[in-house]
Amino acid sequence: MGMERPPTGHDIELAARAAGGDRQAYGELVRRHGSAVRGLLRRLGADSAAADDLAQDAFLTGFEQCAEFRGEGTFGAWIKKIAARLYLKKVKREARLIFSDAVEPVEAIGRTDASGDAASRIDLDEALKALSRGERLCVSLCYGADWSHAEAAEALNIPLGTVKSHVKRGLDKLRARLARPEDGARREAHG
Amino acid sequence: MAEPDFEARLTRLFAEAPSFPDAALFNAEVSAKLDRGWAMRRLFIGAAGVAAGLIAAFQILSTRFSSEIAQISRDGSHGIENEINAGYAKVASVFTSPGSVEAVWLAAGLALVALAFAVTRAVEEL
Repeated sequence: MGMERPPTGHDIELAARAAGGDRQAYGELVRRHGSAVRGLLRRLGADSAAADDLAQDAFLTGFEQCAEFRGEGTFGAWIKKIAARLYLKKVKREARLIFSDAVEPVEAIGRTDASGDAASRIDLDEALKALSRGERLCVSLCYGADWSHAEAAEALNIPLGTVKSHVKRGLDKLRARLARPEDGARREAHG
Repeated sequence: MAEPDFEARLTRLFAEAPSFPDAALFNAEVSAKLDRGWAMRRLFIGAAGVAAGLIAAFQILSTRFSSEIAQISRDGSHGIENEINAGYAKVASVFTSPGSVEAVWLAAGLALVALAFAVTRAVEEL
């Protein structure tokens, strides 16, 4: 008996097959987007065990709701939204959603090989550690899960202005941490 | 105010998925859970079919049984003993008359087929 070849095709095509009950097609989507969802959940603030459990739940929910994915956005963005919603539900259930300015320790995210793009990712993950819980959550929801500020405010049950201020403060901190040498040179040239 | 190029860079950084050494294990776990959920669903459908078959069989029998009881009470001129004997005979006839026997066997057969289907699928999936 030979090895089965993984299904090929565009995400939308695989999602359509998964909506019809094709688990192999969905397995391919899991393979393509699993790490992104796991990474997002860690960036939102989940510890690695909880992040993996939630990522699995997100993919199982995604399989159930696959018929609702109509390819208006990317499958990656769609499944990340499901994962983010599950994470928020979990933290609300555990009453841990406290928007203090305290910076909480965050576990390392993914592999730490420092070369090329991987180095940039590590920079981001390191930089996120400097953000408060609320800032990290709002920035990760808006830039990692592609939520609008309004969507984040509604899901977090906080005023829109609070989300915007968390995002602004978070971006300021990230900009300072992720500054590249050429950014400084450009600023000097403009100044 | 946030610079648009920084925001674009941030979006790009977020979009780059980290690599996990246990990615294959994660994928396998999700696939296993999907398979298990699918098997449970089939089992549930099979069990629901069996239950529905049994309920239908009992409905058929009880309908016949109540009509026989009504008939017995209408024949009130006989003695109680005769009444009971006649009742037993009529109830027994419900189970032995060709039409009733066919209905019972048909329902039982369908229930068994549904159960066998559910068990086969569940074993196949697990």
